[in-house]
Formats: sequence, C-alpha cells, structure tokens
Amino acid sequence: MNGWILAAAVVLGGGVGATVWGVATGPLRRRVVAQNLCTAFACPALLLLSQGYDRPSYVDLALVLALLGPVGTLVFARLLADELAADPPSAWGLTYAAAAVGAVVVPALCVATGPSRAMAKLLVVGALLIGGNLLASRALSGAFPEVRRG
Amino acid sequence: MADAVIVVALLLVALSATAAVAVRDPARQALVLSVLGLVLAVLFTVLQAPDVALSQLAVGSALTPLLLLLAVHKVRRRGKKEGHHR
Repeated sequence: MNGWILAAAVVLGGGVGATVWGVATGPLRRRVVAQNLCTAFACPALLLLSQGYDRPSYVDLALVLALLGPVGTLVFARLLADELAADPPSAWGLTYAAAAVGAVVVPALCVATGPSRAMAKLLVVGALLIGGNLLASRALSGAFPEVRRG
Repeated sequence: MADAVIVVALLLVALSATAAVAVRDPARQALVLSVLGLVLAVLFTVLQAPDVALSQLAVGSALTPLLLLLAVHKVRRRGKKEGHHR
C-alpha cells in the first residue's frame, strides 16, 4: 500500500479522465481548454508516481512535460487562431483549479524529499508547470492579438 | 495498488484512442491525438519504461499535432486558391 501511487491514480482518474472526456466531445473552444488542462493534471501525477516508485530520475519526465505541454498548446493557439477568434475560450476557474493541484502536490513532495538538490528540481518543475499553464491559458483566451496576424 | 494505477492508465489510453478514431474533423483529431500521446506516456511510466515515455512525450505532445495542423492548413489554403481560379 503506497499512498503516493494511490494519489497519482486519483489525479489520473479524476483529472486526466475528465480532460479526455472534455477533449472528445463538445465545441472546439472546450476541446482546446481540455487539451491545455491535460498537461496541468498529468504533470503532478508523474511527480507523484516518481515519489511512489522511489525513483528520483522519473522527475525528468515531469520536467519535460512541464516544458513541452504549454508549447503544444501554443501551437494550437497559433494555428487554430482563425476558428478561435470568433469564440475565444476562457475557463479561468478550471485553469486555477488545475494550477492548485500542482501547487498542492509540489510542496507535499518537497516536504517528503527534504532540503536537497532534488527539492530545488521539484520547485523548478512546479514553477514551470504553473507559469506555463497560465501563459498558455492567456494565449488561448486571445490575450496576444499580435500573434493572430502573423 | 500498483495494479490499480496500471488499470487507470490503460482505461484512459483505451478511451482517448477510441475518441481519436471517432472524431472526424482533422483539427479536432489533432487535439485528441495530443492528449492520447500524453496518456500513452503516463502508461509507459506506469509500466516502468521511462525512456520510452520520454520520447513519446517529446513526439506526441508537440510534434505530431504541429505536423497535422500544418498539413491541414496547407490543404485548406490550396483548396481556397483553386476555388478562386474557377
């Protein structure tokens, strides 16, 4: 019985499951938001799995995901700009909820690791995750109109 | 407990793969495909293959949707041009 893996299973089943449902149905604006939130839920799950399996090297996966997830969302925001301009998606409540999951998981893991280099890495992953998520959400809601024209 | 998380990851992969086949519009399909790549990466991690998961993340979350959307854009633009000629 491992509480970390159980928590990862809950985050995967609840968070990522909801985003899979959101991305499979509904209008385009909802699908784009769900794709963005998928990153925000999967990254804390990967961090929890790395702690649960007691393999600190698995944190690299979460680091790569925190870097590449917002890049993927920005690709969609740029190339689907015409379709999204008429009906800009903005789901700030959900975005902050996803950011809160990351903000709860990262300090909990930091407490479990104790002060060391691994903890600094965890903090970097958390900052990248939340910052990238907020940036991608702003780009989706049309906050950077100069991108649209390019 | 380790089995439970494997079951959850397998269910997510099955759901998102079915959705990727069922969705017809290519742009929306690219969105579902990017989520599928991410869920597959989680499945590989759960099955203790982090190296495979790392490459799956790099390819699946950003590169595949980018290629698909660029192709869709090019096809649509060419369709518009030919419409003007007629």
